[in-house]
Amino acid sequence: MDSLEPSAKQQELQSLSALDTLTSAMKSNIIPNQEYLLQGSIFDNSVDVLLHRLRGLCDNVDSGPETFHDHEACFVLYGNPGTGQQPPPLTLRVRRALDDTSAPWHLRYMGQAEIGDKNRPTMIRSTLDVAVGSDILEFLKELGCRREFDFITKGFLFRKGRLKIIVGKVYRYESGKSSQELEPVTQSHYVEMSVVAPTGQDTVGDDMKTLAEQLKPLIFLKKEK
Amino acid sequence: MSGVNVSVEVPLENQVFEITYDGQEIQQPPLSMSENLSRLAQRIDFVGKDDEVGGRNNSGVAASAAGEPMDESSTSGGGTTQGNSEEQTFKTAPAWPWESARNKLQTALTELSVLGDIISIAQQKKYLVLDPVSAEPSDPKAGAVLIYKKRGLAAAAQVLISGSERLRTSMNEAKSKTSISSLPDFHIQLLRLRQNWRLRKVGNSILGDLSYRTAGSRFPQTGIFEVKKAEDAPDETDSVADEPPAPSSSGAASSSQHQQPPSTKPSSALKVIVPNELQGIAYIEVVIQKDQETLSFANIGLPSPSPAPLDAYWQQRLEAAQNVLFCKELFSVLAREAVALHSLPIPPLVVGSQITVTLFPGILLIISLCHSINGKTSTPPVTPKLDHNHVLEHSLHQLLREVHRSNSCIPLPHPASAPIGVSRKRRLAGPCAYDRQTLLTMTKKDGILEEIIKQSQHVVLRLRTMVVIDALSRDIKDPLIVAHWASLNAVTHTCVRLTLVSSGYDMGARTPLMIHVKEKSLKAILRDGKAIHLSYEPQEIRDLILAQIAIHQVMALQTLSKCMGWTVLSSNTHLGVGTCETIGNAAGCLLSSPNGKRQLAIRSSPQLYHCGIQVFIGYPPNSVVEGIGEIFDDQTSDLNQPSLDDGTTDFGSGIVYKSVKLDRLEGKHFLNKIEMLMAVLGDLE
Repeated sequence: MDSLEPSAKQQELQSLSALDTLTSAMKSNIIPNQEYLLQGSIFDNSVDVLLHRLRGLCDNVDSGPETFHDHEACFVLYGNPGTGQQPPPLTLRVRRALDDTSAPWHLRYMGQAEIGDKNRPTMIRSTLDVAVGSDILEFLKELGCRREFDFITKGFLFRKGRLKIIVGKVYRYESGKSSQELEPVTQSHYVEMSVVAPTGQDTVGDDMKTLAEQLKPLIFLKKEK
Repeated sequence: MSGVNVSVEVPLENQVFEITYDGQEIQQPPLSMSENLSRLAQRIDFVGKDDEVGGRNNSGVAASAAGEPMDESSTSGGGTTQGNSEEQTFKTAPAWPWESARNKLQTALTELSVLGDIISIAQQKKYLVLDPVSAEPSDPKAGAVLIYKKRGLAAAAQVLISGSERLRTSMNEAKSKTSISSLPDFHIQLLRLRQNWRLRKVGNSILGDLSYRTAGSRFPQTGIFEVKKAEDAPDETDSVADEPPAPSSSGAASSSQHQQPPSTKPSSALKVIVPNELQGIAYIEVVIQKDQETLSFANIGLPSPSPAPLDAYWQQRLEAAQNVLFCKELFSVLAREAVALHSLPIPPLVVGSQITVTLFPGILLIISLCHSINGKTSTPPVTPKLDHNHVLEHSLHQLLREVHRSNSCIPLPHPASAPIGVSRKRRLAGPCAYDRQTLLTMTKKDGILEEIIKQSQHVVLRLRTMVVIDALSRDIKDPLIVAHWASLNAVTHTCVRLTLVSSGYDMGARTPLMIHVKEKSLKAILRDGKAIHLSYEPQEIRDLILAQIAIHQVMALQTLSKCMGWTVLSSNTHLGVGTCETIGNAAGCLLSSPNGKRQLAIRSSPQLYHCGIQVFIGYPPNSVVEGIGEIFDDQTSDLNQPSLDDGTTDFGSGIVYKSVKLDRLEGKHFLNKIEMLMAVLGDLE
């Protein structure tokens, strides 16, 4: 009889709702919700040199650089136009991997960059990452978000410790075209170095700056665009 | 008392200085700040003879500190006379002792206020502008620049020349000793060393790292070794492990080249010094012991604990040191897990450099770290009478490498914007809505010790099963037991396919039996598809095989009877009649000859040596029992004799069964004999 009914302690544990655990997690500052970012761009004809250098600097030397092929869509939720004060429009990005269809889709909220002291080496903005399924599109549409733009990005992904370095190229997205005929938007690749960490870990910025120094003068990674 | 605002206003009129002929009044401009200040400063006696100061003068000085023209209006009217009187009266004795200090402070305050005002006015840039005084541009003297450049270049050239001098002398020395020309150059050796190991230059010395840190190891012990130019031979041949550190650095030209005595083999031009705790040879010994007898063991690393010769090639020494480090790390991981392991009924025992784990009752797994420094072994080596179990050796090695790899290779996210550091399964946890239980089981992972325990248990179980099957197939010849062990297996799972076959009757008389050997249990799949789970006791598999043999005989007989034309009247693989068997159940069948005149009843028992197979020939009632030879077993009671003095119901005279002595029959084995019997019995009219 006792084995069927949960004991008092188990009942107490079961009654811990998801909201409680979430609030306690947020208070104890373990949720990574700050992104430290450095970005830059490089012409297409010099990308190979940059890739070689990154291959030497980053981890996982034995396996080659990891490629990615993603499709990103940006959704914007505007506030109620009828009322007086309009909140700033909420931007959400949905990204799916075209080369790995079993991987979950990725929903991202990126806040405005923090305008802080000039001594900080990187740009900091608050970020929230959520893994979602493919029905996120329907969900966002029902919420009232408007699909602003789409783009396809292809490139390479590197990792050094907890730093993630992306070298990618943006292509135009046409719903009819196949993935073979990709039309580039610019003649250059973009490079992003980012770390997602909980608030307060500012030493990450120094690590990023050190790595960015190694990549000069091929590419200058800055915190502003 | 009451807050009354008192405002002080300056009378706007200035003193008239002069009246011109056309009636214009030229007013005395108010004294500028500097003029006022200078006027005041004249009054101050800086020398210090401030004997008597009138109170009025004090107030005058105090009021004028702010540069108010009020003061000036009171004094300027007096002209010089009052000024003189003030000057006269100024030099009076101080009324109180802090007078002079206070005066000085006041003047200092005046000056500072003036300065402050000037600066604030200059900041406004409307009335006063501060310009830097531009220095005269100095002519860049071409001659001076030339001299500076020359000096810089000379310094750089000096560095290069000194370096090349060193190289030249070392090259000359190398060329001079042509006797041992086979000795490679120091720099070429260094190049080779650099191709295999990570080196870096720290100050004057070259240090290297032989740890597995870049492969993902997080062992705190560092593996730093030093590279030095080899010294003279006599130092090397008779010194022990800790040699006195060579005084010269690698680049010193003064070190002489070594000369090898012809007896020892030539060593290299450079020598590596490994840290003391990594010297020697180490290996991890894995022994499976049953009471005192060793069943199987494996050695990790170099098998023979012979010391590395001191003038060994640096590659061997470095590899040996790296191996020592690897073994230490492996043992520390195992020891840590052994202390934390609670899932076994008898927890593992960690004593010094030995871990003892109980696999099965009476069977121990002993893992020990053997580290020998220069031939002096810490534990005596086990005499290798048994074969090495290379699989266990490889497994431990592979498991630690797997740990290293998982530390360094984290799967990268797809799509690229996802955060790194999260495993693929965790990423799917959200969209697939895993519950708490699934998440908890996902994070649990077996440690190295648990894995090796499972593998060792499997090794023991496999050995036992092999022994049982081999013993049975050696002892039992009637159905032949053919065992095919699968050649590709997992570390904890092996398959063996047993076939019970009667020789000569392979086509019809085969019983397959599939046995899966796991870590702690066996699974047997019988011919009819039933799966039976057995424990690790060897008796259980033996009993099962014996039972299957009994069934095989009966089944084979049925097939044979089809060939011979006999009818199977009934057959049962689990007879419920007769004596109760200790192992399994007896199988039996009842056959009838083609003409119906004879029956055969067979009872096959799993017990080999007691009853074995019993064969009865059935004769129809009221027929003559003819003995064919002396095959009948007269000792068995004739069960069908009705007891006449019973008075009970007369059963009637049914079929008379006579037991047959199988060893009197001709034939290789049971089936052969029965075939002969069937042939004879079926041939009657």
